[in-house]
Amino acid sequence: MQVKSMHFKATSSAKLNDAVLQTALKRAKGKFVDGRAAAVAEIDAWEDIRTHAAALRDRVIANLDAYLIEFEQNAVARGAVVHWAETAEQANAIIVKIAQDNAVKIATKSKSMVSEEIALNDAMEAVGIEVVETDLGEYILQLAHEPPSHIVAPAVHKSKEEVADLFVAAHGRPRLTDIPAMTREAREVLRSKFLGADMGISGANFVIAETGTTLTVTNEGNADLVTTVPRIHCVVTGIEKVIPTLEDFATLIRLLPRSATGQSAANYLTLTTGVKAPDELDGPEQMHVVLIDAGRTKLVGSDMKEMLRCIRCGACMNHCPVYQNVGGHAYGWVYPGPMGSVLTPTYVGIENAGDLPNAATFCGECEVVCPVKIPLPDLMRKWRERQFDQALRPFGERFSISVWNAFATRPALYAASTRIAARVASWWGGKERRITWLPGLDGWTDGRDMPAPAGKTFRELYSARQKLAARHKP
Amino acid sequence: MSARENILARIRAQSGRTGATATAAELAAVRRHIAQQMRGPLPSIASDPPLARFIGECERLKSTVDEVAHINDVPQALARYLKQNSLEVPVVGWPSLSVLDWSGAGIDYQNRLANADDLVGVTDCFCAIGETGTLLLLSSPVTPKLHALLPETHVCIVSRSRIVATMEDAFALLRNERGQLPRSTFLVSGPSRTADIEQTIVIGAHGPYRVHVILTP
Amino acid sequence: MKVGLFVTCLVDLVRPNIGFAALKLLEDAGCTVVVPDSQTCCGQPGYNSGARDIAKVLARKVLAEFRDCDYVVAPSGSCSGQMKVHAVEDLFKGEPEEAEFRSLAAKWFELSDFLVNVLKISAVPNAPAAIGALTYHDSCSGLRELGIKSQPRMLLSAAGATIHEMTDCEKCCGFGGTFSIKLGDISTRMAENKCVNIAASGARVLVGGDLGCLLNIEGRLRRNGDMQTKVYHFAEVMAGMTEA
Repeated sequence: MQVKSMHFKATSSAKLNDAVLQTALKRAKGKFVDGRAAAVAEIDAWEDIRTHAAALRDRVIANLDAYLIEFEQNAVARGAVVHWAETAEQANAIIVKIAQDNAVKIATKSKSMVSEEIALNDAMEAVGIEVVETDLGEYILQLAHEPPSHIVAPAVHKSKEEVADLFVAAHGRPRLTDIPAMTREAREVLRSKFLGADMGISGANFVIAETGTTLTVTNEGNADLVTTVPRIHCVVTGIEKVIPTLEDFATLIRLLPRSATGQSAANYLTLTTGVKAPDELDGPEQMHVVLIDAGRTKLVGSDMKEMLRCIRCGACMNHCPVYQNVGGHAYGWVYPGPMGSVLTPTYVGIENAGDLPNAATFCGECEVVCPVKIPLPDLMRKWRERQFDQALRPFGERFSISVWNAFATRPALYAASTRIAARVASWWGGKERRITWLPGLDGWTDGRDMPAPAGKTFRELYSARQKLAARHKP
Repeated sequence: MSARENILARIRAQSGRTGATATAAELAAVRRHIAQQMRGPLPSIASDPPLARFIGECERLKSTVDEVAHINDVPQALARYLKQNSLEVPVVGWPSLSVLDWSGAGIDYQNRLANADDLVGVTDCFCAIGETGTLLLLSSPVTPKLHALLPETHVCIVSRSRIVATMEDAFALLRNERGQLPRSTFLVSGPSRTADIEQTIVIGAHGPYRVHVILTP
Repeated sequence: MKVGLFVTCLVDLVRPNIGFAALKLLEDAGCTVVVPDSQTCCGQPGYNSGARDIAKVLARKVLAEFRDCDYVVAPSGSCSGQMKVHAVEDLFKGEPEEAEFRSLAAKWFELSDFLVNVLKISAVPNAPAAIGALTYHDSCSGLRELGIKSQPRMLLSAAGATIHEMTDCEKCCGFGGTFSIKLGDISTRMAENKCVNIAASGARVLVGGDLGCLLNIEGRLRRNGDMQTKVYHFAEVMAGMTEA
């Protein structure tokens, strides 16, 4: 996907004033936050399960090569073809070749965030293959030519009126704004695509080393139609998705739907192992699994390796106050919110996404809700450390920190200059005790007053008080 | 160097390990860990009596549940359901169930692969999971998945004796009885749904609109 | 029992009244309070800006200044979190100085937590009667790093306050240190959301435990033309020093 993360600041400011988006974000916040809270409350062992899940993900990441080899061996034994791709270009070339070798004209697709990373649809369409998104949210976005703004609810930013307009333009049927009716219309329109597809492309929520299985966690039934009907099934997945056993899946699936949408269970858990047997009536004849690196190996063994635990639930962005106010598009790439602030600089370069790790107050909500205990604020801070060390932040920011340090380490200088600053700022605040503009601090004063300082520092007042008390000692 | 070799080498280098790929000892350690099939912590709800929990969860998920005293009562029970829902149409079903007396209940039971025009699909299941109200279907030449996916109504005959407490129990049963996973292991928890338009939940998306469970002994 | 008061840079510069209120609460509770004169900053602004070495220099300075105290108390969740959590779990983790910072962390407390859980005070002596209706903003560091939630509420209630909890009382106000300037539009919106919730709570007094949050929220209230809603630090309210 094209990177627009470098425009975060300007885009986020604009999004604050986007009325349709703001309504959508408010609605989504209520549903996701309250939904998750109610669902988590039903699981008394929640914290223990989180701890276990974090440990099992860490174990795999620490032995990623061995687990991938084990997965590959077991998948191949069941008739899957396993491909490896270091980059987006390699991945797309592999998938296009599979399609072209098999005379694929139309491919149906269930949701895959890694396919957004590599811009798979563009690569397929460039060689004349029609790709149809079938997840309702992704289908809507395909019609709108927009990228997703959330990893679980991709069209969360759209109003039903906007969807109605898109459907009218694409389907040529009378305009509906009743949501169940619109859903029905999408079902009817996509049915023929499902049934006529030559190839089905899916992501994988996890791949299981023990059995060579890839699996999807969905609610609509589209992933199942995509992976059952066509003669070719192609799975695109990041290399970090591997987990050891079926039991590990059972543990993780207690956390994922509750964290993501507040559901106790996702509608369809589909474990796909190999290709159809000769006497089976349904199922694909070919199964391809494309294991994609695209920057993930940078995190392996690094001081940000915990990020690889991510199970793509979206809880972090659902609870992030910054995301709740600006939405996902401002982040400018595939992954928004806190997890996007860590992954985007990793995958597209910090120089292209410099504002993202800074788009946080470190309130810690993300860390609290992450089902696999990723220390997201710490990871964002590590990006800030890299930026500081590499002088990637604006000069003014670096300079202010250095100046602050120069003063804070020199108590006498600090005491003298804060006395002056307190007086000046207090005077500046006038009778009303409010400062409405501060040089260099427009970021604050554009939207808020700064309450004026009292005028004297605690240090000087306390010192004076102590002197007075000493003088009056008997 | 192939992409595979490069990726594995890079993983090892990042992890502080020498060599181009996992050693035999490392792979053996992974296999030993996998063989342990270690379960994670279970919540208290996993200890609820499975049958009651299963029925309760089905209701929460908007699956409907009926019970019969004997497997032979299934056709009559289904006939009642179809009439109640104005679905007096032919049903397409799995071979294993075709032996029941469907015509006696006035049902045209067609033992063939489901297609896009079928409105009702009838299956049984390998087992069911009480904790989450889930049906576990295994694909095979005689249990194709499309019956549970294409028609708008999915009817699933569930034996009470095959309701286990947790997903872990279901996987253990599967390993025990079948040895390995089939091509498609399909866990169904209710009728299909979406909330992609304004986060409003709509029951019935691309999969079935209705899941009707008939419990037998 | 020698209690060192870590005043915090914001209190020192902007609202010394909070420092004196903290002093009064501690002394009224029987503590001998010392206020090391050379103290300046805990280093959090540098830490959160990625200036790790600078943060360590300032942390070492704090350690040296407060080493001899039996306890260290700060009227701030974020400074306390910096010294209790970040210095130990991150900055000096695995280094020779970790043990010393661990000792410092063990005796460092945020003010309300110190009163309730160390001094075991269930009601503050000399608390002003009839504090009245108020709403409480839970600062993020205090809440999530240190578990500050019930402590201030317990003491405020015991002193006769009626707490009207606002919607999203635990939601970040948007201060976040330099975030409030770097991404000022987002920060302002977050402050605005907080103001809306305060108004909806029905209370006309906002109380909190961190001056950064309070300045941020108060700044937005005043810019909105609200001169009525009062904004106080927990210490000021409990010490009866809200008219300063």
